[in-house]
Amino acid sequence: MDPFLTSRIMTDLLGGLTNGVVYGLVALSLVLVWRSTGILNFAQGAMPMVATYLGMGLLSYNLSYWPCVAVAIVAGFTIGGITERVLVRGLYGKPEINPIVVMVGFLIVLEAVAAAVWSTKPRGLPSPFSAIDWQIGGKPFGLSDFSVFEILTAIGVMAVIAALFRFTKLGLQLRASAIAPEVSRLLGVRVGRMLTLGWMLSTAVGTITTILVASNYFTGLTPQVMDGVFAFGFIAAAVGGLDSPVGSIVAGVSIGIILQFVGDYLNSNDIILTALLILVVSLMVRPNGLFTRSSARRV
Amino acid sequence: MVVNSSQRRMSITAMAVVLSAIASFSFGSSTRVAVALSAFLTLLATGAAIFTTPGLRSSHPVVVRAALTITTVDVVLFATYFFPANTNTNLATGAAMSIVLLGLSFLTGASGQISLGNGAFMGVGAFAMAIWANHHATSPIVVGLLVAIVSGALVGLLLGLPATRLRGPYLAGMTLAFAVAFAAILSSFNSWTGGDSGLQLPTAATPPHWLLGFFDSGTSLLTTNSMWLADIAIVVTGVAFFFMANLFASRTGRAMRLIRDNDVAAELVGVSLPRGRVVAFVVSSAYAALGGALSTLIDNAVSPSTYSFALSITILSLIVIGGIGTIPGALIGGIVYAYSNSVITWITNQTGLNPQGNLASQLNGIIFGGLLIVTMLFAPLGISGTARHLWRTRRRRTPR
Repeated sequence: MDPFLTSRIMTDLLGGLTNGVVYGLVALSLVLVWRSTGILNFAQGAMPMVATYLGMGLLSYNLSYWPCVAVAIVAGFTIGGITERVLVRGLYGKPEINPIVVMVGFLIVLEAVAAAVWSTKPRGLPSPFSAIDWQIGGKPFGLSDFSVFEILTAIGVMAVIAALFRFTKLGLQLRASAIAPEVSRLLGVRVGRMLTLGWMLSTAVGTITTILVASNYFTGLTPQVMDGVFAFGFIAAAVGGLDSPVGSIVAGVSIGIILQFVGDYLNSNDIILTALLILVVSLMVRPNGLFTRSSARRV
Repeated sequence: MVVNSSQRRMSITAMAVVLSAIASFSFGSSTRVAVALSAFLTLLATGAAIFTTPGLRSSHPVVVRAALTITTVDVVLFATYFFPANTNTNLATGAAMSIVLLGLSFLTGASGQISLGNGAFMGVGAFAMAIWANHHATSPIVVGLLVAIVSGALVGLLLGLPATRLRGPYLAGMTLAFAVAFAAILSSFNSWTGGDSGLQLPTAATPPHWLLGFFDSGTSLLTTNSMWLADIAIVVTGVAFFFMANLFASRTGRAMRLIRDNDVAAELVGVSLPRGRVVAFVVSSAYAALGGALSTLIDNAVSPSTYSFALSITILSLIVIGGIGTIPGALIGGIVYAYSNSVITWITNQTGLNPQGNLASQLNGIIFGGLLIVTMLFAPLGISGTARHLWRTRRRRTPR
């Protein structure tokens, strides 16, 4: 066997890819909300966390794994929709700090309520696939059944979202109401519904991500499970450009790989420092993200 | 002879000062107490006279602000003498926090930006103070505070430079990343910051000997110490508020409000956007660092776990509740902070919750987060802004 396949570099590359698709998914869910409503959703980690607790909590009522996942995703859709209707509706057109503050408040409330109801004790999620690394010639190869499942799920979600936006009438309406709400309304698009749908989609994507994160990492499911992942996902979205779904995914994967190497070859402390450095430098070079076409701002 | 109102006021003030001096010397138990008492009353009378003089407010606003600051600080200092130790500690904590809040209030109120990382900037100041004190044990407190301000401003400058080009939520996200990364930053400078256990100050801030003479011989050291710390915190807070009130009203402050309201118009009239944004950010982080340095002084130690992301969120909640972009809002937020723990304990006791239970331990987050949402949705100006708004509409309605 080729020794390169089991080398340190290859292992890091594959591990980074597995982490990176998760960051890419978080970034994608941020971009979905940003593009449709112009709000950076700081509760993007907490809303899916609640949905995951609601869905995966059914495991203790002897429901099997996949129905629980389905329930969690439905809960994600619901929470996203309700949040948009109740909390966010009144914030459009307000100063830009208002939605930030409200969503930060929502993040605190959700995490506190989740900790009050389900306690802060980590809850292990059963993994549907083995998380033990494959062996090649007696040496570990950087992939396991689960990480392949993770990568495939991420690609699948991205493909579904892309197909939805590109090939369906609904996707066209979603794009139209994000770009030109007034014109869309005149042409008969229910813009309000499209905005709600954007939030629902984003929270559902977030729920899938949360399930992956909570069953993959040793941490299990906790109210704060998405905090760190959210930070990296935000950095990916900011580096790639909050307007660009492709950019956010590419940035997420690249950041995942870079950070994996940093954590392996340097120090685990340096991971978040490197991420901060990447964010600061990329914002200085391209303030609107690497993949965004620079746009004129209307006065 | 024509006596105008300001001359009449001056003579009344002079009379009040003389009377208060006589009263102090006849009632004071010793010369020292008498001197202190008459100094208190003199400052009070002078400040009140200046503050109430009509016309002075528009002709010499700085003098009026100084008088208001001195009078308030004077009254609170006097009150600390009678407060029990825990009230003084609360007062000091609240004062330190109100400085941090003032910085954030300025950043948002003057430039329309928001920082989710002011807890980390507070930590920069707190650690700068502790590290300085550990290397220069004999240096006076003021030097330590200045070191903290400078280091806070430098870190703010470093992070603020990219902020010059950022619009929208990018700055909030970047400061969030800084707040999340702060623990890692601290632990990568392990040898300086003392790792997970943090740092102790080499010597606690103790009151000087002349102050001890005011107390009865039976007064415990705890009482005098907490009073001394509260006094330091209050004086520093007074200075900080005085500077900020002037900055808000200055040309720079006006330019920044223009940036907040309409950045294109600001650029057209020659206000430099990048400069304004960086200045606002640097001022806000310097203020946060000053507040952090005071907290180190009050706690006599600094621990990295204090300056977590949760603190940044608490800071944001406090200023939003108090009134973002206003000066009194920072004071209200500081008071809320000083008593928030007592209030939450009180609620826990009243409702009969198990104090070790899940709900009781999360009550803080639920209440603060809920208040944050409710305030922003229904009264985005906070307590102080809403009160000011109500006051103005009432004055407009009542016929004169």
